[in-house]
Amino acid sequence: MNWTRRQALWAGGSIGAAALLTSCGDGDDATSRPADSASGTPRKGGTLRIGALGRASATTRDPHGTQANESDYLIISLVYDTLTAPGLKTNTVGRLASGWKASDDLKTWRFTIAKGAAFHDGSPVTADDVVWSLRRLRNTPSGAARLPGIKADGITADGRGTVVLVSDTPNAELPLLTRLTTFVLKKGTSDKELAKAPGTGPFTLDWFRGGNARLLRNDKWHGGQVHLDAIEVTMFESPQAMANALLGGQIDVASNAGAVAARTAASRKDIQVVRRPDDMAMPIVMRTADGPFADARVREAMRLVVDREAMVKQVLSGYGTVANDILGTGDPAYADDVPQRKRDLAKAKKLLEEANFGLSKTYELVTTEDIPGLAESAALFAGQAREAGIRIKVVKQESGTFYDKTWLKGALYTTYWGTNDSVVFFASKTMVTGAGQNEAGWSEPRFDDTYRKVVGTADAKARAAALRELQKIEHEKSGYLVWGMADGIDLAGPTVRNLPKLPGYGRVQLENVWLAR
Amino acid sequence: MNEAAIRRAGAAAEATAAPAPRRALAAAGRAGLVLAQRALLLSVLLAVVFAAIELLPGDAATATSERGESAAGTAARRHLLGLDRPVWERFGDWMTALPTGDLGTSARGERVTGLLAAPFPNTLLLGATAFAVTLVTALALGCWGALRPGGAVDRILGLACGIALALPEFVVSVGLLLALSLWTGWLPPVTLTAPDGSPASWTMLVMPVLALAVPQAGWNARIVRGALADQADAPHVTAARLDGLSPRRVLLRHALPGAWPAIATGAATSTGMLLGGAVVVETLFNYPGLGTVLSGAVADRDTPVIAAVVACTGAVISLVLLGADLVRARTLGARP
Repeated sequence: MNWTRRQALWAGGSIGAAALLTSCGDGDDATSRPADSASGTPRKGGTLRIGALGRASATTRDPHGTQANESDYLIISLVYDTLTAPGLKTNTVGRLASGWKASDDLKTWRFTIAKGAAFHDGSPVTADDVVWSLRRLRNTPSGAARLPGIKADGITADGRGTVVLVSDTPNAELPLLTRLTTFVLKKGTSDKELAKAPGTGPFTLDWFRGGNARLLRNDKWHGGQVHLDAIEVTMFESPQAMANALLGGQIDVASNAGAVAARTAASRKDIQVVRRPDDMAMPIVMRTADGPFADARVREAMRLVVDREAMVKQVLSGYGTVANDILGTGDPAYADDVPQRKRDLAKAKKLLEEANFGLSKTYELVTTEDIPGLAESAALFAGQAREAGIRIKVVKQESGTFYDKTWLKGALYTTYWGTNDSVVFFASKTMVTGAGQNEAGWSEPRFDDTYRKVVGTADAKARAAALRELQKIEHEKSGYLVWGMADGIDLAGPTVRNLPKLPGYGRVQLENVWLAR
Repeated sequence: MNEAAIRRAGAAAEATAAPAPRRALAAAGRAGLVLAQRALLLSVLLAVVFAAIELLPGDAATATSERGESAAGTAARRHLLGLDRPVWERFGDWMTALPTGDLGTSARGERVTGLLAAPFPNTLLLGATAFAVTLVTALALGCWGALRPGGAVDRILGLACGIALALPEFVVSVGLLLALSLWTGWLPPVTLTAPDGSPASWTMLVMPVLALAVPQAGWNARIVRGALADQADAPHVTAARLDGLSPRRVLLRHALPGAWPAIATGAATSTGMLLGGAVVVETLFNYPGLGTVLSGAVADRDTPVIAAVVACTGAVISLVLLGADLVRARTLGARP
């Protein structure tokens, strides 16, 4: 359980290393940093060596299991296809499904399987395979959370090429749910065969050993031309070791390496720092159901107290953007016209006074070190709150304790979310009355009504209006203080081109990457 | 453990001057007894491990669940992992399966034997190499200093060893990483894995081995030097010196043999430190060993994995300690 100490040690070590390394980059002025890594004509061939975070004890090969390792998820999503995937212009694009259509009541959704989709052993993908896979996913302990509102019998085949999903309630955003975990295996694949089970993805598995793997191009992939000959995935337990491997030329890409590593690499001209905006939200949760923050004016005051620019600069090393207390900033429908909330201590003090908020008491802000910067964000916020006369004591909890004792219950705590391209995702999971992960215990009838309108309206224009209204209510009243969004940061060597720019799990879509010579 | 008993038994054996086969049988019996004691100690340790993980907040079901999985989902997972049964029952099951080589199933449904198949030999390789480097360096430095007690070499070595043993592994690691890899590019900064699960190149072993060996070599050199100093005052060594034998001959032939028990014990205790240090060093160099498995398993409250790692390393440490005991028994038995 030396995690905490070790992380602290690493922070120290890497800062030292960063200072010392600046002298290393001088000799590399000949290879200038590629201005746009997507430019040029894709070249076929080459092996991409990519590092991803993971722990040896947590490796898993089950596409429908819980993948704590980014390395496992990366390997699985290159070998297997999900029905849909995160996209850039719209947040859901087709992958194994080429299209989808809802019934008028938005309860029944029909997905068409892409033409030419086939498993690596050559057999075509049928609706039966998809149905079997989705039911297998639905029947795992996490199934209800992954396919919310859909029962196992609600997943059926219609002919060879169409899969029908029936939702309990109208859900205009249902295709969104099938983006991340709906990996399709062959019907009847037994648990013992999982390690070698053929997928339909852009790469086939050459070998897997202890979290590391080598993948080969699937020339017959239904999704188009794949450029790379092979991908070698190396698992790293610490982001710093991964950054070192990149600096030492042992790997070409360090996936999700983080801000500290980016700072270390910033002085090296031959290293590309790929920033993927809206990757991680680190909101502060204020309990609305009861306790000191139940009064909406107090929550408003807290949101006025935070110095968002300072948070982004210090907690995220500048690798991030200021946010406006609305979750889902990466959504194409995100309401960026809602006025940005700014620091206003005078107004905050007035609101606290009106709400009769006890300033003599000390309030505990519970945090963890689950992701880099989280505990620092809590400490910095506590300092900023002190300037408004609010006494906050930061309490660090070990992850297990936190999820056991504080999460969903505490009055004031930090949380983090990695899927930030959908406003509705957050509304449904964390804000609607009675939602399974309603972190602040929020219940606002006006919000609930608007949410139902959003998911139950087929007309695009009316839906957009409702969605905007939803975000306004969230901005005003929810239990969240969303001060900023961390960028996802990948580091890449000089020859890597066309790395994905998407936040969150979009980073695993490596089929369009190519290597320049 | 229980060296006194062994010594007494050894002395008794000498006294009765039993015929050779019977003596060998008695020796085997003693070794068997000690082994049995060690195995019992290890079982107690494993019971403590099971209990300790039980006392930690949260369990493997919550640690490996999706965030926001329903309570029913977590309960189903808990049942799947058998965590709804009492801890002694799970311990009993795990222990009874142990002799068959079955180490159970991880919280993510992987066979633990499979999870450890590649890391355990890797850690053994790392630990054994570091142990050999430690022992050779410590002996060389200790003897070098003892050649001229109080001389310049002795004093400088004493100071250097003092500094080396005080350095934590991570400081040595970061220093090595900067000096041998990031500045000079001589060695690869991290360990990559070959398709068979072992390090892809021997050059990747150099820095992890050094990081582990430097502090331990400092510690053991001090022990060697101290044991030799004790021996220097022994009557037979004084006699040898007065006979006019060369300092080197006195040291190697007369002082060193008597110093073996202390040196062996010191080196044996280093095994634990080496394997403990491996947790940190393996993470820093991304070395695919047990240390990386263990740190993740503790975070996951993955009892079977943690217990398996403890059992493997505990067995290794026990064997090395047993070896040290035998060295002691032999040396002290020969010179009662």
